[in-house]
Amino acid sequence: MNSSTATESKLFTIKGLFLAWLRIGLTSFGGGTVTQYLIQESFIYKRQWITGEEYAKIMAMSQIVPGINIIAYTILIGKRLGGWTGIGVSLLGLILPSAAITVGISSIYASFSEVPKVQASLRTVFAAIFGIAIATSWRNVQPIITNNRNRGVLAMGVTLVILIGSALVYVCFNPPVFLLYLFGGLCGALAYSYMAKKERRMD
Amino acid sequence: MDWILFFTVVLKAVLFSTGGFGPLPSLHHDFISHGWASEKQFTEALSVGQVTPGPNGLWVVSLCYLVAGVPGALLASIALLLPPFCVLIVQYFHTRIASKAATQGLLDGVVLVIVSFSIIVLTGIFRSNGLDIAMIAIAVLSAALAISRRVSANMILVLAALFGLILG
Repeated sequence: MNSSTATESKLFTIKGLFLAWLRIGLTSFGGGTVTQYLIQESFIYKRQWITGEEYAKIMAMSQIVPGINIIAYTILIGKRLGGWTGIGVSLLGLILPSAAITVGISSIYASFSEVPKVQASLRTVFAAIFGIAIATSWRNVQPIITNNRNRGVLAMGVTLVILIGSALVYVCFNPPVFLLYLFGGLCGALAYSYMAKKERRMD
Repeated sequence: MDWILFFTVVLKAVLFSTGGFGPLPSLHHDFISHGWASEKQFTEALSVGQVTPGPNGLWVVSLCYLVAGVPGALLASIALLLPPFCVLIVQYFHTRIASKAATQGLLDGVVLVIVSFSIIVLTGIFRSNGLDIAMIAIAVLSAALAISRRVSANMILVLAALFGLILG
C-alpha cells in the first residue's frame, strides 16, 4: 500500500510515521491545543494506529513531565508504534523542519528588524502576545483556583500563598528561578498530601 | 561562547519548567545576567515563536539562534528534546504515582509559580518595548478576545501585525 501523504495508509510503516509527524510539524500553528488536535486526527482517526484509550493514557502521563508536553506525546506515540526507531523518527519529523523554519524566520527578522514598519509590527504583535499570554496563564490557573476554592480554606490559602509569595520573592530577591519552582512544587505536594489524608480520615 | 555553559543554562530552564512559556523566567534571568541577550531579542524570539509552525517552545530555538547562531539553535533544539524523555520514567511508574495527591500537588504548585513568574517577566519585556495607550489597548483587547475564544490566537496576531504596519 502506498504510504504517501495523499492517501494516509492504515498500514504502519516507519516512513509513514515520519511523514505523519512531518505534516503535523509543518501545519501546527497556534500552539499546543492545535497540535493535539492534529495528533488526534492523524493517529487516531485517519490512520487508526492508536486507540482513543491509549491516547488518553498518553495525555495523562505527558502532564507530569518537564519541558514541552507535546514532545512527550511524540515520544510515547513513537515508542508505541516503532520502539526507539519510532521515537527518533517521530521527533525528527516534528522538530527538524519546524526548527529550521524558525531559524529561517529569525534570520529574516534579524535582517529587517531595523526597518521602522517591521519594528512597529513587532511591538504590536508582542502587545498581542502579552495579552494572549495573560489569557493562557489565566486558563492554566483557573481550574486550580476553582478546585481549591471548593476544597476549602486551607487549599485556597496554599494556592494564594504560592502565587503571591513567589511573585514577591521573585521581585524582591530575584533568586534562581528553578529553586522557586521546586519550592512551589514541594509546597503543593505536601499540602495536597496532607489534605488527602484529612479527607480520607473524614470518610 | 562557552558552549557547555550555554547548553547547561538552556537545559536547566527547560528541565525545571513545563509548557511553551515555562523556560522564559529562567532563560530571561540567566541570559540577561550573562549579557548574552537583550530584552529586544526576547521580544523578537517570542514573536517569531508565535509565527512558526510546530509545537510551542520553539521560541527558545529562535532566541538561541539570535544569540548564538546556528550552533545555538542546534543546542537549543537538543535541550528542548531531552527533558520530555522523563515521560518514559513516568510511564514505568505510572499506576503508582499518577493517583497520588502529592503528584497533583507538585504539578499545581509548579504551575502556580510559573504563571506568577511568567506574568512578571512578560510585563517587564512589554514595558521595555515602550508603554503607550495603543500598546496597552492592544494587550487588553487581545487578552479579552483570547479568553472569549471568539477569535483565534493566530487571527489576533495577524490583526495586531497589520495594525502595527498601519501605525508604523
